[in-house]
Amino acid sequence: MIQIQNLKKSFRTEEVETLALNNVNLKVEEGEFVAIMGPSGCGKSTLLNIIGMLDNPTEGSYNFAGHEVAGLKESQRTQLRKGNLGFVFQSFNLIDELTVYENVELPLIYLKMNKSERREKVMKVLERMKIAHREKHFPQQLSGGQQQRVAISRAVVTNPKLILADEPTGNLDSKNGIEVMNLLTELNQEGTTIVMVTHSDRDSHYAHRVVNLFDGQIVTESKNREIGAMI
Amino acid sequence: MIKNYFKIAWRNLIKNKGYSAINIGGLALGMAVTLMIGLWVNDELSFNNYFKNQDKIAQVYQSQTFNGNTGTGPAIPRPLEKALRDGYGDNFKHLIMSSWTSDHYLKYGEKSLSRPGNYMQRQAPELFELDILKGEKDGLREINSIMLSESTAEALFGNEDPIGKTVKVRNEFDLNVSSVYKDFPYSSSFSETNFIIPWEKYLIENEWIKNAEDSWGNNSFQMFVQIADNTFMDTVTETIRNVKKDLNEDTAEFNPQIFLFPMEDWHLRGSFENGKQTGGRIKYVWLFGIIGAFVLLLACINFMNLSTARSEKRSKEVGIRKSIGSQRGQLIYQFLSESFLVVLLAFVISVCILFLSLNGFNDLARKEIEFPWGNGLFWLISLGFILFTSLLAGSYPALYLSSFKPVEVLKGTFKAGKYSGLPRKILVVFQFTVSVAFIIGTVIVMQQINYAKNRPVGYDKEGLIQVPTFSEDFSGKTDLMRTEFLSSGAVVQMSTSSSPTTRIWSNRSGFTWEGKPEGFQEDLAWTEVSPEYAKSLNLKIVEGRDFSREFATDSLGVLINETAKKYLGLENPIGMLLKDDDEEDPGPPLKIIGVVEDMIAQSPYEPVKQAVYVYDRHDNFSYYNLRLNPNGSASENVATIERVFTEHFPDIPFEYQFVDDQYGEKFASEERIGNLSSIFTALAILISCLGLFGLTSFVAEQRTKEIGVRKVLGASVFNVWNMLSKDFLRLVIISCFIAMPISYYIMNGWVQEYPYHINLKWWVFLLAMFGAMLVTVVTVSFQAIKAAKSNPIKSLRTE
Repeated sequence: MIQIQNLKKSFRTEEVETLALNNVNLKVEEGEFVAIMGPSGCGKSTLLNIIGMLDNPTEGSYNFAGHEVAGLKESQRTQLRKGNLGFVFQSFNLIDELTVYENVELPLIYLKMNKSERREKVMKVLERMKIAHREKHFPQQLSGGQQQRVAISRAVVTNPKLILADEPTGNLDSKNGIEVMNLLTELNQEGTTIVMVTHSDRDSHYAHRVVNLFDGQIVTESKNREIGAMI
Repeated sequence: MIKNYFKIAWRNLIKNKGYSAINIGGLALGMAVTLMIGLWVNDELSFNNYFKNQDKIAQVYQSQTFNGNTGTGPAIPRPLEKALRDGYGDNFKHLIMSSWTSDHYLKYGEKSLSRPGNYMQRQAPELFELDILKGEKDGLREINSIMLSESTAEALFGNEDPIGKTVKVRNEFDLNVSSVYKDFPYSSSFSETNFIIPWEKYLIENEWIKNAEDSWGNNSFQMFVQIADNTFMDTVTETIRNVKKDLNEDTAEFNPQIFLFPMEDWHLRGSFENGKQTGGRIKYVWLFGIIGAFVLLLACINFMNLSTARSEKRSKEVGIRKSIGSQRGQLIYQFLSESFLVVLLAFVISVCILFLSLNGFNDLARKEIEFPWGNGLFWLISLGFILFTSLLAGSYPALYLSSFKPVEVLKGTFKAGKYSGLPRKILVVFQFTVSVAFIIGTVIVMQQINYAKNRPVGYDKEGLIQVPTFSEDFSGKTDLMRTEFLSSGAVVQMSTSSSPTTRIWSNRSGFTWEGKPEGFQEDLAWTEVSPEYAKSLNLKIVEGRDFSREFATDSLGVLINETAKKYLGLENPIGMLLKDDDEEDPGPPLKIIGVVEDMIAQSPYEPVKQAVYVYDRHDNFSYYNLRLNPNGSASENVATIERVFTEHFPDIPFEYQFVDDQYGEKFASEERIGNLSSIFTALAILISCLGLFGLTSFVAEQRTKEIGVRKVLGASVFNVWNMLSKDFLRLVIISCFIAMPISYYIMNGWVQEYPYHINLKWWVFLLAMFGAMLVTVVTVSFQAIKAAKSNPIKSLRTE
């Protein structure tokens, strides 16, 4: 599903050029659950943003489900992203002015789905995430765990092929964190590919595979055989 | 989708009540000003729209050149009528002669009143498309008939049917009411015409008019025409341009040019200078149009600045929306619909503001504008106005906000760049440049008005009243009335005059005097007065002596003013003769007996015109000038005068006016402009300050943490206040330096248009600058001090 070759990403600030990613090669198969780990500033999030088509690489190739993404314009990336990708962020990133229901509904609106269809899909996913009773609440009226469940609902409501999670448990206590990880595992078992950036060793054990990044380069890759062993 | 946009926009408005209030309130004020100015401009532009044939109607004008100065005006001689009818009749559908609009006494039964009206030829009702409510359409057919406006008929007859009833005019002759027409609207050139009497009656009643039939030199009449359907104004003008010059040798030396002045230009483009049309009121239409546009722009800038300033708050939403699949175009659309919502709300409020303030505005602008509730076109234009304003205010924020990169804003690394505040600063500078220029402009307009008001008028206008005497009844009774008034104790001096003190109704030429330069074409203001004229006005005699009843020869005497002495080139004018050079019927020569100080009878902005005051031998007066007894109260004096007046003229309504009030009207137009522009200036400043207030609170909020840290490190309230205020003050000072040269240039040009004008003073500019700085400091301080006084622990904990 994802094939990345010789990917480079550099940032320029006035005089200093920082190489955030250097010759990254990565392949993610459909249905895989991959965790990206590494110390702060190693380039994890940059890699995730490129995979999520929020950012363009400086050099190299990125193939997503048969489409070359590197070099696409923002509007083209948006088109490709729509419906195919779901995002889960550390800080949830819900729109404060919209209710739970409206937040989850938003991606469907951009897909130009009609109202009754939207209602059906949103309610289904909210029920599944056990947050349906809060549909009329605003994000700030919810606990952190509940907010993240809403964010996951929003990420999966379009049935995306790929979910990108950027430290999804970073702002949660351990109980809520485990709950969120269980949800992601469930989604993965149903066939959704997941790429997750994490600091947490515990979370990384939910993944099939862990990619370790250091100073912009992949240093090790390891496979987790005993999924769920830690729980 | 659009529902979603409005929903989020609405919730944002509710959540940030302070910002919303500033945003919507500022826009509403700006839009109200723009709408008000729009209605005013529309009223000005639709003047005379009452006349459906407006594009075909014209007044015949004449330009003449005296000593190189070309004067242009509507006064034309009687023989021109015959010349045009006989030689050029095909060019006109209608052609009518008319008198000037002047006050007449109208009496029916016991009811007596004074109303302005005209004598006109028979086709007038057709030419002016009179809306006949009662009686016959051809109301000027019979010589002894009168057409009355609806309001005049009502005032005179009440509920009675006026048709066929007899009205006594000027207490001299009876006329039968032939028809009643709907009043001309206030916004038309004939709004004063309350009655029309057949022209033939005018000729019969006034010997001098009858005698003017062949006099090309007596320019005392008006002529209105409707051109034929198949021709054009310019074409007709070219044909008739030299008709007077060609037909009359005597006046040819003044190069008389006859032309059509189209009705469409009467109201707004009525100024002529040296024979050329130079505009007129249209300049005020432009002035206010520009003010309106600027005020709206200022309000839109507030919206832009507050929206972009708050961008960090909205950036997260932009990032999320983009990451879920929103295109940039959709975001632009979203932000534009948001500004549409704000503008729509502002519009609703502005309509309320407008509705509530329209009466006050009408008083101030002397208008009768009504709110066009039922006018579909108004609402359609309003919709366009709303859309336009939404685009104007919303496009920059929409483009700016939608350009955020999701990666940056979602990771929280988004910080507006070093120069991201620059456009905002430029816009603030623009706002204050406009505001400061408005302040300077308004102060200078007010100064100029006051300067002209304080100009010495040359006579004592306090405690002087004028009573109109527009009837033959007054003839021969001047001495009697004078004795009566004086013995009543209410009056200490009385005179008569043929023009009011504040006007010149008559100009004469055709004199010779000793030392008159060859080919000199004189033009003298002509007023006929009784011997006590100078005494009653307290007009100072600077040379020679005043009229005296003791010298019988004074009946052929004349007083001239100082300007006339210079104008006529007389070193020692006393005893010199002004001889009438009419070859056929010369009047007796007039002997100059004295020189009086110049008195302002025309524009207080212009030099005083050369004037002669002639002993009134034929009772040609139109006014009593009464100097009130300074020892009594004015109201009691006037009451006494009325009693004496009514005793002797029971059939004539008593009217009077204080001369200083009448003089004050000369400033009315300028004062209206001054008052309106001060109000608009105040609103412009208020709007700019609202924006500044919003921006300061934003900056204070944005720098909460910094302020906290600084306070922990020992910064005082003053330090923090200084830090926050300094930036804005700097912008305002930059604005002042931009505004000063611009307003100097514009206002210097404006005052130069008045021959009697102030010189611009440097302190006005400095005052405007300090004013703007003071307003800025006050506005900014409110938020700055609030931020500076807050507990640093609180602000640091919010992180």
